[in-house]
Amino acid sequence: MALPLYDRAIETDDQDLVRLTLIQGGASAQLVEALIPSRPLEDGEQYRFHFDMTKCIGCRSCEVACNEQNGNPADIQWRRVGELEGGVYPDTQRSYLSMGCNHCISADCVKGCPVDAYTKDPVTGIVLHSADACIGCQYCVWNCPYSVPQFNPERGVVGKCDMCRGRLEDGLEPACVNACPEDAIQIEIVNKIEWRADYALAESPGMPPAGHTISTTRITLPENSQSWLERVDTGNIRPEHGHPSLVAMTTMVQASVGTLAVLLLKGGLDVVTITLLALITAIALNVSVFHLGRPAYAWRALKMWRRSWLSREVLLFGLFFLAVSGCTAAAWSALFGVTHAAVLVIPTAAAAVIFGLLGTIASAYIYLVPARPSWNMLHTPADFVLSCGMIGLALAAALEQLAGWLVGPMTRLGMHVQHTPIQLPVPVALAFSMLWIANVAWKTLRMRNSKLFELRASYNLLRGQGMKPFLALSVAAALAGAMLLAIPLPVAALLSTVLAVALGRHLFFVSVVPLNMGLTYVRSHGGPG
Amino acid sequence: MSVFHKLARMLGFDIARTKYAYARDPEFGYISESRVADTWTKTTCGYCSVGCGMLIGTRDGKAVAARGNPDHPVNLGKLCPKGLSEHHVVGAPGRATTPMLRRGGRGTPLEPVSWDEALDTMVSRIGSLQEQYGRETLGVIGTGQLLTEEFYTLGKLVQLGFGTSNLDGNTTLCMASAVSGYKMSFGSDGPPGAYDDLEAADVVLLVGSNIADNHPILCNRLRRTPGQVLIVADPRVTKTAMMADIHLPVKPRSDIALLNGIAYILLREDLVNRKYIVEHTEGYEAFAEFVAEYTPERTSELTGLSVETIYRVARLYGRAKAAFIGWTMGVNHSTQGSVTVTAINNLALLTGNIGRSGASPFSITGQCNAMGTRESGFASSLPGYRKFDNAGDRADLAALWNIDEARIPSARGLAYPDIIEAAVTGKVKALWFIATNPAVSFPNYALLQQALTTAEFVVVQDGFFPTPTSDFADLVLPAAIWGEKEGTYTNSERRISKVNRFSTPPGEARSDFDICMALADRLGVRDELFPCWQTTHDSWLEWQRVSAGRLCDYSPFTWQQIEDQGGMQWGGKRLYADGVFPRENGRALLHCVPCLPFTEQPNADFDLILNTGRTVEHWHTRTKTGAIPILNAMVPNAWLEMNPVDAERLKLKPHDRVTVRSRRNAVDGVELRITGIVAPGQVFMPFHFSEANSNLVTLGDFDPISREPNFKQCAVRVNRTTTQDLRV
Repeated sequence: MALPLYDRAIETDDQDLVRLTLIQGGASAQLVEALIPSRPLEDGEQYRFHFDMTKCIGCRSCEVACNEQNGNPADIQWRRVGELEGGVYPDTQRSYLSMGCNHCISADCVKGCPVDAYTKDPVTGIVLHSADACIGCQYCVWNCPYSVPQFNPERGVVGKCDMCRGRLEDGLEPACVNACPEDAIQIEIVNKIEWRADYALAESPGMPPAGHTISTTRITLPENSQSWLERVDTGNIRPEHGHPSLVAMTTMVQASVGTLAVLLLKGGLDVVTITLLALITAIALNVSVFHLGRPAYAWRALKMWRRSWLSREVLLFGLFFLAVSGCTAAAWSALFGVTHAAVLVIPTAAAAVIFGLLGTIASAYIYLVPARPSWNMLHTPADFVLSCGMIGLALAAALEQLAGWLVGPMTRLGMHVQHTPIQLPVPVALAFSMLWIANVAWKTLRMRNSKLFELRASYNLLRGQGMKPFLALSVAAALAGAMLLAIPLPVAALLSTVLAVALGRHLFFVSVVPLNMGLTYVRSHGGPG
Repeated sequence: MSVFHKLARMLGFDIARTKYAYARDPEFGYISESRVADTWTKTTCGYCSVGCGMLIGTRDGKAVAARGNPDHPVNLGKLCPKGLSEHHVVGAPGRATTPMLRRGGRGTPLEPVSWDEALDTMVSRIGSLQEQYGRETLGVIGTGQLLTEEFYTLGKLVQLGFGTSNLDGNTTLCMASAVSGYKMSFGSDGPPGAYDDLEAADVVLLVGSNIADNHPILCNRLRRTPGQVLIVADPRVTKTAMMADIHLPVKPRSDIALLNGIAYILLREDLVNRKYIVEHTEGYEAFAEFVAEYTPERTSELTGLSVETIYRVARLYGRAKAAFIGWTMGVNHSTQGSVTVTAINNLALLTGNIGRSGASPFSITGQCNAMGTRESGFASSLPGYRKFDNAGDRADLAALWNIDEARIPSARGLAYPDIIEAAVTGKVKALWFIATNPAVSFPNYALLQQALTTAEFVVVQDGFFPTPTSDFADLVLPAAIWGEKEGTYTNSERRISKVNRFSTPPGEARSDFDICMALADRLGVRDELFPCWQTTHDSWLEWQRVSAGRLCDYSPFTWQQIEDQGGMQWGGKRLYADGVFPRENGRALLHCVPCLPFTEQPNADFDLILNTGRTVEHWHTRTKTGAIPILNAMVPNAWLEMNPVDAERLKLKPHDRVTVRSRRNAVDGVELRITGIVAPGQVFMPFHFSEANSNLVTLGDFDPISREPNFKQCAVRVNRTTTQDLRV
């Protein structure tokens, strides 16, 4: 990025360069004392925020100034103010926490982004986001331990604090710094290596541990505050977005992968089943793009496969779909007598199963983010793999039945389908259901007994009136699925297992309590955080 | 949006790039393109009395940005969140755009009518009621939101045109006790100090004043001088109390005991300025005898503070080179507000902490133009701080206006609460409310409701429609608001600042000044009272003549000078530097102020004391700030603060919806906040929200001198809101 200010600072001896413009640009020189650095950055240094909690009076001017600066609607706030409280009357203390982006040294938003929309500016260290590159997958929203990036539905992309880079370039202080009547927010220079070694000054009550991503924001705290200042927003945890398209996609793809594996292992692959599986996969992948704010650019998600689990998921499920399609093509070709086509069916199906399982693992890895503790558990990949098996067995049975019905009419049309009825192992199906239920139960128990607030809060959400019946229904449906398969009523078993997994997945999304800064006690529903 | 655009948006081709583009504003640099202005207009904030200088950016005539004016001496470029978003207010939804009349009488809907019909109806209805019941049957409630020029005009119109002296401002709900207290001690209204004193003082004592929430831009004056000690007396651990070096968590309404107790120690330890007392005060002997009762032990018992703390505070205040006492609604919102103000003034007089840099007893006022209206109006005094009961003052005014002296009343008309009571008893039949929303802001809603329904003709003139008050209106007049008119406001430190127009009123809305002129026309008094007046500047010129030579002398400055210099203070930086006070003998009076318990004490049925107040994100009854999305998103609803001890006893949990019930009424569904901010036995609730109106339960009890309501303490009980509570 061009830094005319620094160029000028390096080329001239003028020490006052940085603040000269402030007289025109908002706060008068009298009020501004070194609110932004007045020397150029050296190697290994970057900019950071300093927030002085002892100065902040909780007026929230910074929040409004930020929204005005960036033209954001009221429900998107790139800078937020939270409250912290402690003590017993009259020795009560309430402090305020004002936070934009922490421009972390090891930023998870940057690492997770599948389209390389994030850059950590090499000169300033500012974590920059490009709305043009962004496809609105919101993976950064999940990755950030401070819930800094926010999705703007009006635009279909995410946005975040860029430390008002455009203003810094002109030698002006960021909007929040400019607005603060108490000079509680400043821009400083930090040496990255030193900070990486000791970032204790980034820690604050009401902030997630700085070590996840090495937040660079320095916070000056009131004396001894660590021991008694606490968040005030913990009694008001609201469910997160349900992401129905992701519920649909993960459930359907896992069903396809599991079914294909079952059919391959049991020798039940034929043109009908493989075609139906290809169809389900196609629908699943198409549905999933509607999770994106910009579905038309879904293809860009492949870009960062070397770094982003989301890219890898897209890539592997893409390959899975190609293999399934190849397998389908081979099966049809064989049906119409194309030489050697039949030979390709098994290898392509095997390849598909491998891609599918790897894709499922990649899919699970997306959710293994420290910023979302109830996802960041071994139970997530376990759930995904067990769901493959549980629905896979039921769907295989259902397809088997369907194929049985279709063979007759197809034969009459001149298509001679090789259909060998297979025996589904009912005990295995029961085992998958029991394991799936055990996984849910174990996770729920672990959350209940966790020391981590966010996990207990997730548990409390699940326990609440809004979710508890669904959790019970999901578990009952999983159990019923195995029993229905044993009867055998494959279609009913399929519906039951799909219900179990889809409900469970919905609860997975809505009950997650992300790491976040401590917010205010009274706040708008549907507002940030 | 066309189908094509919708599709482009849905697929993600369109990411609203134009709307979210950035550009460089020539004045303020890189910013959202939507905030780049082509014109910047200097003005003064229209919310509180701090009086921050602003620059409003407009593009193609539409307000797009608000900035603190870096050159304005009050705020040096800073603004609070309300100021920073104030440009949104002129285009906010819910503006009143056309006169509305209940043609079919009460019970029928308000219908849009022409201005002619509206004003004709108003004059004829009020006229016939006045003919039948006498001139004084009209009661008018104005506001500290009006320009000084408008309030001056309104005063003349009401007093000399409509011929009633029952004119008051909503300022009576706010700072009337400060006015009365100043008059009682010094012989005149007028805060003696300046904001600079907050910086220069070595001891700042704030009594019942939560400036961090209510006057945030004053806070940066504090903590600047090394060694300055900030003492905050407040029963609640407010944001301001948290800034303090010493917080005095006094029992509710024990501030008088604290002030007397400090005086006791000052006298006993000879920390007083004998020379100042001898030369400039009156009533010392009686006072000294009176405060002898307020021993530290008794004061400790009354206030709940330790004896050591009382000594510490008294010595700090007494030994300070310059000591400042600021107060706000904790003092004023009381049946003993006026006398509490005199008790504050006592301390300043005893120590000579007045009229010097850093030394002042200072009322931090409420509304943007509370000061201008109390100086220029016909409410608590005649224009220019003239006294109703002073024949010379009346003759003076009559000569200035060239009218018969008999037309100027020799006593004040009814004050705001008395107008409301008179409406209940039927003495006042016509009510005219200007830019105020009593249905939310007046205490004890039930009585107000009775007044509004008993009165035969109610006019509501406001910038917004509907408001909770306009529900009772027979006639609604749509008015221009801040940003749509030109004139002056005067802030807490007597600084007259220019207010400019950068937008046009929506629809058919007119400025309050224009409405007054149109009414004067219809009353046939325009030529007599407002000869050749066209704009508020004509009013300004006359007001300058009327105030010339008075304490509040506006004559030395032109509008242009005021604008160029970022406002100018009448009376100079400080009043009373010479120790001469505008009383007959030139001496200030020391008052003996007994500490009495507040009116409605808690008992077994109503076991909690309800305190009310504000939050930084909102202004008064939220007609404006509720319409500004960012402010409303930050604090969308009312809450009730309760100590954990009481919450446990009442088995209440955080975020429970609770009902607050007093002897009068109940407010339901208030979000409970369990917090150590409030003392056990006390609860606090903001008064901004019509949806959860604290004034359903507050006490309709008033200061006998200033007539200011006792908003701050009443007895309530609290329980979880049940479906039974949620009537409607």
